[in-house]
Amino acid sequence: MLSPKRSEALAAYLFILPTFIGFAIFILYPLVESLRISFYEYSILGDTYYVGLDNYDRLLNDSRLRTTYRNTIVFTGFAVFLNAGIGLLLAVFLNRRMPALMRNFYRSAFFFPILIAHTYISVIWRYLYQQDTGVINYYLALFGIDAVPWLSHPGWAMAAIIIMDVWKNTGFAMLVFLAGLQSIPYAYYEAAQLDGANERQLFTRITIPLLSPTIFFILVIFMIGALQVFDSIIVLTQGGPGDATRSVVMYIYQQAFQRLDFGYAAAVSWTLFLVIMAVTLVQFWGSRRWVHYE
Amino acid sequence: MIAQTRTPFAAGRQLIRQSRKPMKWQDIVSYAVLTLAAILVLLPLLWMFSTSLRPLADSYKLPPQWLPTAWRWQNYLAPFESNVPFELFFLNSLKISALTTLGQLITCSMAGYAFARLRFPGRNFLFLFLLASLMVPGQVTIIPIYLMMAELKLVNTHASLILPGLISVFGVFLMRQFFKQMPQELFDAARVDGAGHLRTFLQIALPLAGPGLATLGIITFNATWNGYFAALIFLTSWEQMTLPQGIALLTGYMNSGNPSVVMAAVGLAILPVLIVFLVAQRWIIEALTRSGLKG
Repeated sequence: MLSPKRSEALAAYLFILPTFIGFAIFILYPLVESLRISFYEYSILGDTYYVGLDNYDRLLNDSRLRTTYRNTIVFTGFAVFLNAGIGLLLAVFLNRRMPALMRNFYRSAFFFPILIAHTYISVIWRYLYQQDTGVINYYLALFGIDAVPWLSHPGWAMAAIIIMDVWKNTGFAMLVFLAGLQSIPYAYYEAAQLDGANERQLFTRITIPLLSPTIFFILVIFMIGALQVFDSIIVLTQGGPGDATRSVVMYIYQQAFQRLDFGYAAAVSWTLFLVIMAVTLVQFWGSRRWVHYE
Repeated sequence: MIAQTRTPFAAGRQLIRQSRKPMKWQDIVSYAVLTLAAILVLLPLLWMFSTSLRPLADSYKLPPQWLPTAWRWQNYLAPFESNVPFELFFLNSLKISALTTLGQLITCSMAGYAFARLRFPGRNFLFLFLLASLMVPGQVTIIPIYLMMAELKLVNTHASLILPGLISVFGVFLMRQFFKQMPQELFDAARVDGAGHLRTFLQIALPLAGPGLATLGIITFNATWNGYFAALIFLTSWEQMTLPQGIALLTGYMNSGNPSVVMAAVGLAILPVLIVFLVAQRWIIEALTRSGLKG
């Protein structure tokens, strides 16, 4: 007979066993294996040989990789800034006194795009963005604006992807901000108002500090998500024109699954992993300085 | 857009001067901004819906008509009659999403329960170990997983998508939060009554974890239903493909697919999501934001 303590531990290990089997096979092993592959010239048909740091040497001089990193960083910067900024603005407005019916309507409207796959959203917007037949250019023409080459001009194509991303994801930022705003006790505002604080002071001295954990959370998850952008771009522009909107993940996909250059693709994927890890750690480190936990 | 947002500001300033009630113009501004944003969010979806009901010949017609001008519901049959096996895409997505969701509900609730309620050596270390792996992007692990599936001859089968989806670190974390909130007295009482760990889990913890299971179920089902990256890599024949792949096929080379047919297909694809949303929307919003906040 096992002691109660031991039987509790045994039960616990059995409970976590399925998760850890899956974890070992589909996360831990592939993580180590992808690092190993990155030191090989890897062919699926045999002829795999060790090449040391050649793949890493190659990626330092790969101008296409540099382009895709630049695209990804431009996308991430705009997408995170606009999603978080507009999301916060809408949440602040939505948190004002208003009939519950109105608030629910706005909330549902902003929430709906979150549920729809990036693929479908790109399919819809690809029609809207068409230069000659698209709805957007039709309305711009009413304001005397010439047809914008949304999907065929490098700069406009990137703008098109960012606009679509904000359309889809701002609602999520807004909902999380709204939940954060609603958890701030109203008494704080009343006390500050009694002390003669004006609306702007309430916002900068109470709302922002108490909302800082939420802001931090949104920045981290939006940045990590944006650095991995793939679905929306591959359907909307296929990375074009040229490589103008190709993201790092699209480049990994192309190298691995279209050119079957697994070793090089694994090396590139590890650079992305390191970037994401660095961003996460820097933000956690920075958060100690400015995030205010109650 | 700039012109439209400025007007309420200007109007608002005048109101202040007239009525000296500073709250008034801010209300107008916030309603104006929220309404404009809601319109911008809803218009593409409205366009999708009205286009899906138009006669095929009119689908490119400008000026755009936002409200349906015709009600050609037969467009919704067109994807099934097209040259791609649309009904198979639908069934494949349903099968993959349902099995993945079922698997995660089982594995995540078990592990989440152990991490929240049981004491064992290495608990904190193992949990942090799992959490740290959330930083690993799927693109790093997908290459070895692909090579593994190729070795096992599982490429272009649904197993290649379902097997890696049976566990979820996020799901373990989410379920742990739900189990942690339950009062300790319940579990003490179960122990006094002589219930074993499995019985306590199945008969006391799980029935109370309904909201947690539903949250995880909805998040996982939606994510799998909408998933594209892995499907694009693993599934190569039309018979195996999922709905997002199928719709990308329907749009055709260089967008040659007819918008009305494609939009009807998109409408069908988001229908399950829409139904769940309408049935349980307030609750889903709460669950999603709450799970996010605790992340």
